[in-house]
Amino acid sequence: MPIAINTSVKGKEYPPFAVTVERGRIKEFARAIGDLNPLYLDDGIGRAGEFGDIIAPPTFPATFRHESSDSAAALRDLGVDISRVLHGEQEFEHFRPIRPGDTLLCRTKITDIYEKTGRSGPMAFVVRETVVTDQSNEIVCTMRHITVICI
Amino acid sequence: MGDELPPLVKPPIERIQLARYAGASGDFNPIHVDEEFARAAGMGGVFAHGMLSMGFVAQALTGWAGTGTVRKVGVRFAALVRPGDVVTCKGKVLATSSKDDQHLVELDVWAENQKGEKVVTGKATVSLPSRL
Repeated sequence: MPIAINTSVKGKEYPPFAVTVERGRIKEFARAIGDLNPLYLDDGIGRAGEFGDIIAPPTFPATFRHESSDSAAALRDLGVDISRVLHGEQEFEHFRPIRPGDTLLCRTKITDIYEKTGRSGPMAFVVRETVVTDQSNEIVCTMRHITVICI
Repeated sequence: MGDELPPLVKPPIERIQLARYAGASGDFNPIHVDEEFARAAGMGGVFAHGMLSMGFVAQALTGWAGTGTVRKVGVRFAALVRPGDVVTCKGKVLATSSKDDQHLVELDVWAENQKGEKVVTGKATVSLPSRL
């Protein structure tokens, strides 16, 4: 049975949240992907290397989440159950490497909601964009996340 | 142009890997780790986080271009990845350009399962230091 989603949340800006990049988190994330690059895992090699420390892999910003603005929060705002939802698309743009100890601010906004009917029937697409800045207010990375909801 | 990345063949997906990725990423959606939940949701069983496959694609990119070179990577999650699937990541250079002292390379990137079905498709831009 088709469900309605709460499209009035288009444009919603979630409260900014801070993230401190943790060394151990970077390493566990790299290991979970099976990417054993020593520049992600070995402190000594990282320190001696071009970045001055280990750095995070390119998809690591996916770990930046806060319960006030994560997918679960967005789904509650949309009025949708998590079992109806798929991750449709994801994009990262990086402006500088991310290192342990970086203190970052994440601002997420629902930038678009649209509907399309595909092979599997009617679907809603929710686009969330996040801008991540550092303590100098420089942009470190941006993320674009499209959630697909079977409606 | 037209250069291809050496394919990155990942080991078969294991359920313990999905649990590990859930912990490492903070994405505890039960659809990836709770078989009963996944079946009740009509998904036939657990499947991998799309982001896990995207992590594989990023690994293929950095393996070819170097660590810290990925400026942009965007993918669509085209098909589910199940435990036991073997994911192979591939890429092909589309275009190159120069900006400041950086050599930007744009690529098509994708990942296939063992049946040759595309599970992830997208594009990436890597930045290589200009060398004469």
